[in-house]
Amino acid sequence: MSPLTTTKSDERVQRVSFLTKALRRPELGALVGALVIFTIFAVVDTTGHFADLQGAAGWTHFAAPIGITAIFVALLMIGGEFDLSSGVMVGTAGLLMGNLVSEAGMGVFPAMLITLVFAGLVGFANGYLVIRTGLPSFIVTLATFFVLKGVNLAVTKLITGTVRVDGIDKGDGFEIARDWFATKIDIAGAQFQVSLFWWIGFTIFATWLLTRTAFGNWIFASGGDANAARNAGVPVARTKITLFVMTSVAAALVGAMTLLELRGMQAGQGIGQEFYYIIAAAVGGTLLTGGAGSAIGASIGAAIMGFAAIGIPYALWDQDWVATFLGVILFLAVLVNTWLSKQAKGARK
Amino acid sequence: MSWKKLAVIAAVSSLALAGCASTGGGTAAAGDHTDLKICVYTHGDGGTFWSVAQKGAEAAAADLGVTLDYQGSSNDSAKQAATIAAGVTGGCSGIAASAPDPAAIKDAMLAAHDAGIPTVTMNSGSSVFKDLGAFTHVGQDEIVAGQQAGLRFNDLGATKILCPIQEAANVGLADRCKGASETFSGEVVNFNLDGGLADIAGSEAKIQAALEADPAIDGIFALNADIATGAALAASDAAGRNAIIGTVDMSADALTAIKDGKMAFAIDQQQYAQGYMSVVLLYLNLTNAHELGGGLPIYTGPGFVTSDNVDAVMALVAAGTR
Amino acid sequence: MSAKNVNPILELKGVGKSFGNVVALRDVDLSVYPGQVTCVLGDNGAGKSTLIKILSGVHKASEGSFTLSGEEIEFNSPRDAMAKGIATVFQDLATVPLMSVWRNFFLGNEPKKWWKPLGILDMKMAKDTAKAELLNMGIDLRDTNQAIGTLSGGERQAVAIARAVYFGANVLILDEPTSALGVRQSGIVLKYILAARERGVAVIFITHNPHHAFLVGDHFFLLNRGRMTASFVREKVKLDELIQAMAGGAELDTLTHEINTIRQD
Repeated sequence: MSPLTTTKSDERVQRVSFLTKALRRPELGALVGALVIFTIFAVVDTTGHFADLQGAAGWTHFAAPIGITAIFVALLMIGGEFDLSSGVMVGTAGLLMGNLVSEAGMGVFPAMLITLVFAGLVGFANGYLVIRTGLPSFIVTLATFFVLKGVNLAVTKLITGTVRVDGIDKGDGFEIARDWFATKIDIAGAQFQVSLFWWIGFTIFATWLLTRTAFGNWIFASGGDANAARNAGVPVARTKITLFVMTSVAAALVGAMTLLELRGMQAGQGIGQEFYYIIAAAVGGTLLTGGAGSAIGASIGAAIMGFAAIGIPYALWDQDWVATFLGVILFLAVLVNTWLSKQAKGARK
Repeated sequence: MSWKKLAVIAAVSSLALAGCASTGGGTAAAGDHTDLKICVYTHGDGGTFWSVAQKGAEAAAADLGVTLDYQGSSNDSAKQAATIAAGVTGGCSGIAASAPDPAAIKDAMLAAHDAGIPTVTMNSGSSVFKDLGAFTHVGQDEIVAGQQAGLRFNDLGATKILCPIQEAANVGLADRCKGASETFSGEVVNFNLDGGLADIAGSEAKIQAALEADPAIDGIFALNADIATGAALAASDAAGRNAIIGTVDMSADALTAIKDGKMAFAIDQQQYAQGYMSVVLLYLNLTNAHELGGGLPIYTGPGFVTSDNVDAVMALVAAGTR
Repeated sequence: MSAKNVNPILELKGVGKSFGNVVALRDVDLSVYPGQVTCVLGDNGAGKSTLIKILSGVHKASEGSFTLSGEEIEFNSPRDAMAKGIATVFQDLATVPLMSVWRNFFLGNEPKKWWKPLGILDMKMAKDTAKAELLNMGIDLRDTNQAIGTLSGGERQAVAIARAVYFGANVLILDEPTSALGVRQSGIVLKYILAARERGVAVIFITHNPHHAFLVGDHFFLLNRGRMTASFVREKVKLDELIQAMAGGAELDTLTHEINTIRQD
């Protein structure tokens, strides 16, 4: 319009932009929380190692398997759905891959491939059922959870006669697979699990997917208002099903990595983890109602869980408090995130 | 905004209080060796059984004047492995770990061994402690316990016993049933009761159903005291069966049942001693370079509690130390 | 101005729609001309939403013909309709409140850069274009990054309309755009309707407010209980007539008489 109007709006843009931009990021609350929690544990640390690389090797060991799956659980939550079968899928995948190697004599890599494909199919089934039946994904994936839990136990017993899978280190390609997925990497004297690098890689990939691709736009829209999205021409069903597949495959990858690290797997592994993924996502700024969130935030949430897992023993606290701790940070994180998002929305009242 | 600030203050204070109020994790007596940190990392879940084991470890730490770090992992092998690994770099002078899933913690235990940290296994892992780099195991051999139980059931005149397994992924429990089937003259029927501890009422219903489905069953070998009293005994009464019931591990209720004649025996693996001895074995190794056990496991059980000795034991269980 | 020498871009003849036993629409004839505003008036339950859903591709007509630019056609999904240049702005605006203005502007039509199948967003182009197009409609947003939920109702409608026009809509269907707005905001929306009309778009304005319809409409069709009961051309109708026709003329007279009788007591 007139030069006068343009200059005015430019001025306003400059003044508001940095603060509002910062507040708008859902990860901010999570990052602040993470720093506070890290500081607390560093202060009460009795070993002198929490805040150094040794401690980092410790908490990333716990955080990476949670983080890898939590990232995709967060994407799914942003897309408006839940997957309660993600935890048990870790176990199912490890057991399947283990059985294929130790009982069917398959090579480790082919077994892994089959396992990932199987997980993709389960994810597809989850998504398809949710879309087709219109039932809440909470219910559908809860059913999947129970089905897999039973299968894990029954099939393992049927095949191996016991409740765990063993002897995969004799499989073809075990050492190479281990090098890629479960080995230790020495960084300045501290032994880090290679899962850390997978975790970082997936965080970058998921963030890029969410914020810089059309598919990411569809994820936000499907979770924010599926009806509006559909009316605008977004392929909501396809988007959601893809998210379910990605979540299951991520969980299966974590299962494979766990199997390679532990050289075997118990039938009960993974059960209960699904809530940690959801907590990590929520702590990281992902709304339980969908439509907003971040992969980086989920990773920060997972990191916080790692801090607690190492920090509490290092502080010689009673580990029974871990559960209470997680409850408190979840509550606080959601509180902070709600406040921050109100500030960001109130950018123009 | 002030109520939000209040919430933050409340949360931070509760965390700080948790640290101050903790009795379980860190214990140090006014003794000589507080610089020694004995780490006991189990697969336990903090229930009646494991809390006694933890008490044993805490008592030993207090008596010897060392610092104790006890962590349970609620049957999550990956978590236990990661905790042990973190303990290796976190200043543990000695590590005791339960090994229901030896392969899972093998790397971490060997890392401890390589770092010069003495290790023992406790509670489960009697056949694998050497592979894990530990110099001995302290606990009860599950097969042996089962075998002894089988012999008992023979003496008591049972012909067919039900063996409900309340943790499907626990190899040790399966071993007890296996041991029993080796010495019992009749048939031992394994029964899946996975998750049974979390739902005693449901467990009772399931056992009752099993009894009613098979009238030949006249004995129940429960593998946990709460299952024995809460589920097996109740189910037997409800089904009108009057089965011969024996259990592994004790509780106040179980001992009362033995005293009243409703239960035949309880096998005591004496987990208090498992916790206590773990600390003692590592302490002796660290202070005087002892390696006890002679390359073999050190047994804390099976001890049998029957109507003959139940009174003495009852008092101690009530005190929470057995 | 008048439609004498221009062919209708969209024509419905004898269109009907039933859902099981319920007949929502019956025997509807509708002609829509480019560069003109066609108002579809009717009270709640008249069948307006069913009509829109057929026009926008959400439903298929149970009977009758649907002709677009002279070609008879049937849509399988809203995407089909959009591909043929029919854009619908639903009452919920098809915008996602938590998402930014520019993301909403390009929702379902995201601009891609580099290798197209990869689906990488051309964010700079998207943000710049959204800002420019909105400016064209007279909205100056400080920052297209703000959540669309923070805009006022009228502004949100404007974004939805600007979006439809930008993506080359030949036919723009507006479903009750002013129903939830106050007088001033409604005025803003009506101005945008005229702006779209100037650009040659055929606007279908669905409303139950005859005042608003009269301000911008070139043609008026009345829907009552699933049937088209009247049709007027702007030059040949007065606002009073329109209101009367909408309110159901004779029924309203009877009602007025009854109420007057009661009130006198």
